[in-house]
Amino acid sequence: MSTLSKPASVEQIDSTMIVKAHRVNKSFGSLQVLKDVSLEVRKNEVVVIIGPSGSGKSTLLRCINHLEKIDSGHIFVNGRMIGYYERGGKLYEESEGNIARQRADIGMVFQRFNLFPHLTVMENIIEAPVNVRKMSKAQSRSDAEQLLTRVGLYDKRDNYPNQLSGGQQQRVAIARALAMKPSLMLFDEPTSALDPEMIGEVLDVMKELAREITMIVVSHEMGFARAAADRILFIDEGRIIEDTTPDQLFANPREERTRAFLSKILH
Amino acid sequence: MFYFDWAVFWQYLYPPTAFQNPLVRNGFILTVAASVIAQALGVLLGVIAALAKMSKLAPLRGLADLYVWYFRGTPLLVQMSFLYFGLGVTHIYGFPDFHFGIVTVTGAVQAGILALAINEGAYMAEIVRAGIEAIDPGQMEAAKSLGMTYGKAMQRIILPQAAKVIVPPLGNEFNNMMKTTSLMAVISAGELYYAFTQINARIFAPFELFLVASIYYLFLTTVWSLIQSRIEASLGERKGIERAPGMLQRLFAGH
Repeated sequence: MSTLSKPASVEQIDSTMIVKAHRVNKSFGSLQVLKDVSLEVRKNEVVVIIGPSGSGKSTLLRCINHLEKIDSGHIFVNGRMIGYYERGGKLYEESEGNIARQRADIGMVFQRFNLFPHLTVMENIIEAPVNVRKMSKAQSRSDAEQLLTRVGLYDKRDNYPNQLSGGQQQRVAIARALAMKPSLMLFDEPTSALDPEMIGEVLDVMKELAREITMIVVSHEMGFARAAADRILFIDEGRIIEDTTPDQLFANPREERTRAFLSKILH
Repeated sequence: MFYFDWAVFWQYLYPPTAFQNPLVRNGFILTVAASVIAQALGVLLGVIAALAKMSKLAPLRGLADLYVWYFRGTPLLVQMSFLYFGLGVTHIYGFPDFHFGIVTVTGAVQAGILALAINEGAYMAEIVRAGIEAIDPGQMEAAKSLGMTYGKAMQRIILPQAAKVIVPPLGNEFNNMMKTTSLMAVISAGELYYAFTQINARIFAPFELFLVASIYYLFLTTVWSLIQSRIEASLGERKGIERAPGMLQRLFAGH
């Protein structure tokens, strides 16, 4: 349950609006990590979030699929409030089953890949389609084969994750998320745990993906942002302080803090 | 002067003659069966108790804590007597004999296995919990992000991985279990140790008889060690980790 301001009504959200976050607040103990954050992401938009470590960017991402609870505010994905339902002006946390159903439509890729080590690459990918979506094994397998071909790892389908390089594992993780046919993909620092020579192969897959699916990416890969992002958000101390296009941001950042941050990460 | 009675020794050691004696035969079968059943039930109880201990619901956690506290904090001998004799006089449950065709499972056997299982569950709870906690929390997050509920993620993702962590201590628990079944003698359940005390009461040859009993137990635990190291080796191979210590090492390493 959370306290809130007047809820944004669902009717305001048209079908092209994939994510709408409205005045989201979130604290860990006494530390407030998100302060009145509002955000809208439309269909097929690619939004890159940058910001200093501890600025709240990963937390914001994790609130969007309710891996973190929020203290107040609203987050809608595909027009449905995530993790909560409203009754009599109050918010209550959704049942576990409903939250799970909502998450099934939101793909997430983690910094540390989080592949299931006891399952082969193929089993990793078909696990959720078969056991959550209740798709047939044959159909899931053929879908998975296509996805693996797409990320260039078809010949690794019977390997276990620990037999793959970091870059390969992350590409499998992307395929695993895509197998659920999500309407939104969240990437939480997908290349931060990779050796430098493996970053490119993961970014290439993401760039390809950026043409056809809505994505929110927490990353400091400016090359990727320049090539694929429609918007870049700069978050600092729990607030979105810049929301602009990559060209605009690099050419002429509005805020001094953005300028200072960019000069650090662009070397 | 003491004379070692080889005739008695061989008669009760050599299976074709020893197993003609129904006490030995049934005792051996019961020791093995009770170990397997009690351990299996103990694992089940342990998983349930471990999940309860990690539950968000405080009453469930409290209940699990109480369970582990009592059963690890009191002797199994007392628990078994309490269950069988104690429950019997209250008329809550008198442990009547069950008959399945030619097999009769006496009340004492039921009570004995149940006590072993409940006691084992309390120890398994800690082992299972440690196994689950050894799994990277990122695994649960990944499973949830794919739309799995907590239960489904536990069943499909966390517990299968925890199982590998749990196997070595579980094997040691089972080794202990086979020896601990001898405590069922206190409620006259008729397992291997009880069988030899009964035979001894008739022919009085404690040195020979309990030596034979030791050899039976040693046989069981040694065979199990062999099986256990095979299981661990096959688990290790798949994950590409180094082989578990060999059987000789395991036998003489003192755990």
